[in-house]
Amino acid sequence: MLAKLAWRNIWRNKRRSLIVLAAIVVGMVVLVFSESFIAGSLKGMLDNQIGSHTSHIQIHRKGFSDNKIIQSTIPNASFVEGVLQGTPGVLRHSKRVVTYALISSASNSSGVSLVGVDPAQEQQVSKIQASVVQGSYLSGKDHEIILGKNLAERLGVALGDKVVAMASMLDGHVGSDVFRIVGLFETFSSDFDRLYVFIPTGNAQRMLGLGDQISEFAVLAQTMELVPQLDVMLERELGGSYEVLSYRELLPAIMAILDVADEAMGIYYLIIGAATIFGIVNAMLMSVFERIREFGVLMAMGMKNGKLFSMIVLEASYLGVLGMLIGMGVGLAIYLPFWKYGLDLSAFSEGLTMVGMSAVVYPILTVGAVIRMAVIIPLVAVVAALYPATKAIRLQPVRAIYYV
Amino acid sequence: MEIIRTMNLDKIYQDNGVPVQALKDIDLLIRTGEFLAIAGPSGSGKTTLLNLIGALDAPSGGKVLLEGEELAAKKRSELASLRLRKIGFIFQAYNLIPVLTAIENIEFKMMLLNMPEKERRARSLSIMDELGIVELADKRPNEMSGGQQQRVAVARAIVNTPPIVLADEPTANLDSITAHHLIDLMEKMNREKGITFVFSSHDHQVLEHARRVVYLRDGQIERETMK
Repeated sequence: MLAKLAWRNIWRNKRRSLIVLAAIVVGMVVLVFSESFIAGSLKGMLDNQIGSHTSHIQIHRKGFSDNKIIQSTIPNASFVEGVLQGTPGVLRHSKRVVTYALISSASNSSGVSLVGVDPAQEQQVSKIQASVVQGSYLSGKDHEIILGKNLAERLGVALGDKVVAMASMLDGHVGSDVFRIVGLFETFSSDFDRLYVFIPTGNAQRMLGLGDQISEFAVLAQTMELVPQLDVMLERELGGSYEVLSYRELLPAIMAILDVADEAMGIYYLIIGAATIFGIVNAMLMSVFERIREFGVLMAMGMKNGKLFSMIVLEASYLGVLGMLIGMGVGLAIYLPFWKYGLDLSAFSEGLTMVGMSAVVYPILTVGAVIRMAVIIPLVAVVAALYPATKAIRLQPVRAIYYV
Repeated sequence: MEIIRTMNLDKIYQDNGVPVQALKDIDLLIRTGEFLAIAGPSGSGKTTLLNLIGALDAPSGGKVLLEGEELAAKKRSELASLRLRKIGFIFQAYNLIPVLTAIENIEFKMMLLNMPEKERRARSLSIMDELGIVELADKRPNEMSGGQQQRVAVARAIVNTPPIVLADEPTANLDSITAHHLIDLMEKMNREKGITFVFSSHDHQVLEHARRVVYLRDGQIERETMK
């Protein structure tokens, strides 16, 4: 009956309660959109990075990440391949030669990361093939090269033109070769497009005097969640001569952005929570003052402080839960079309590509986010009710009954 | 058997910083089953005396004993418990909970006593039947007349058969016929259930129904009359 009384008490002043509910609903919609948009953007950024080149895990000779010299090749590629094939959770892998190089055209030159890949293996692990916007992906023939569209523009070259790549060889001499541009790619990141070029592995190995040596293995796990476990397993299996780096270690900047995003969401919750609290405190205080005589009568009947306190907190809880549910419903109604079709931000695409975001963002509302919102907003309502409830139980029965 | 005893009871209020002695040296004994009226002009201390007897307020001096227990010694939660089990209140302004129906208003006290829902409902309907207000069960206070509301208030006050019911000017907002009927009702409950009724009034027609009348003037007992 106390619950019934609390529910009916909310609707004594419909207008006031509706205003409070509207405020909570607006707050919830903002939270749903913020949570989903930020999660979707960051996932997109991470997926872009992982999909373009980073992969879930990279394996190198120990020390390679600190000093990326061509001499730092994989000690025993067959051994590593065997371990990868025998490790559950590994989906696919690709072998790469990686070195810093200078790429030159007739009119210009640019420092790049030269990546030698087996096209068949590489397209299983990265999305570069899908990013080719002019020409075609590598077929594996010698002297083929694909590079970023903006790098081509910088070098003043086009599809079919020749460029020269020059890099340090294994023996310390300078190696070079001529390549014909067979494809131009355009990924999520203008920086990536400017800094990476791809040639066939065999071509890279000959140009750099590597023989059959390679620099890295790029590994895709079956799921993102398996990566930490896989990281540990591979380190154990491969031993101390290798470094096994997950995407978390390879993309510290993005990981830092993810952490900041969590804190940013925390600030959102703080702001919306504060607005909710003030709204509910105000409404509840007015409601308490309007019912002072009634509280006096309830106390006269024998209602103890605990029950009176609970009733008022329950009233605020109802507002919080109802506002949360309606807000969640409205938020979801707005979110779902964007989840399906994406939010087109191509007007800002230049800025977005600088941070590795796609022009179309697909918001993601996780179960964790839904639970967080579903718990925090009603909790905020309960906290908001504490002060008005405390005022109510401090009333003296005789003064309350005869309050004018 | 005594139910209420006051001994040298004093009550002083502060009115804009000026002390006002609302009650002075009240010695009063109320026995079980009495139908007692407290009379006097406005400001004589009737409501103050009822509030002190009803454990709604604390005395400035002296004692109030309810069934031998001194009220001043009790904590706030103990007084609430006492009021719940032992004291029924009827107010001048009815003071029904506006968002509850008549039957829910009557059930409320039993809810506070943690009585099961079925039993609450049965007792409420029974008391409403006795008072002739069953047809009001699903009506809210704003759908009832003053007299009907006060009957519901009487039902609320007596539904758990408390030893004593305190009524502060229960007929003040009613017409004379309705007031008469209400007092008859209270007399009937006093006779049939043995509930002690103490009510305040300055209406002589109402006072005629009381078997004992205590007259207050300026916070003191001026005289008493018995039928």
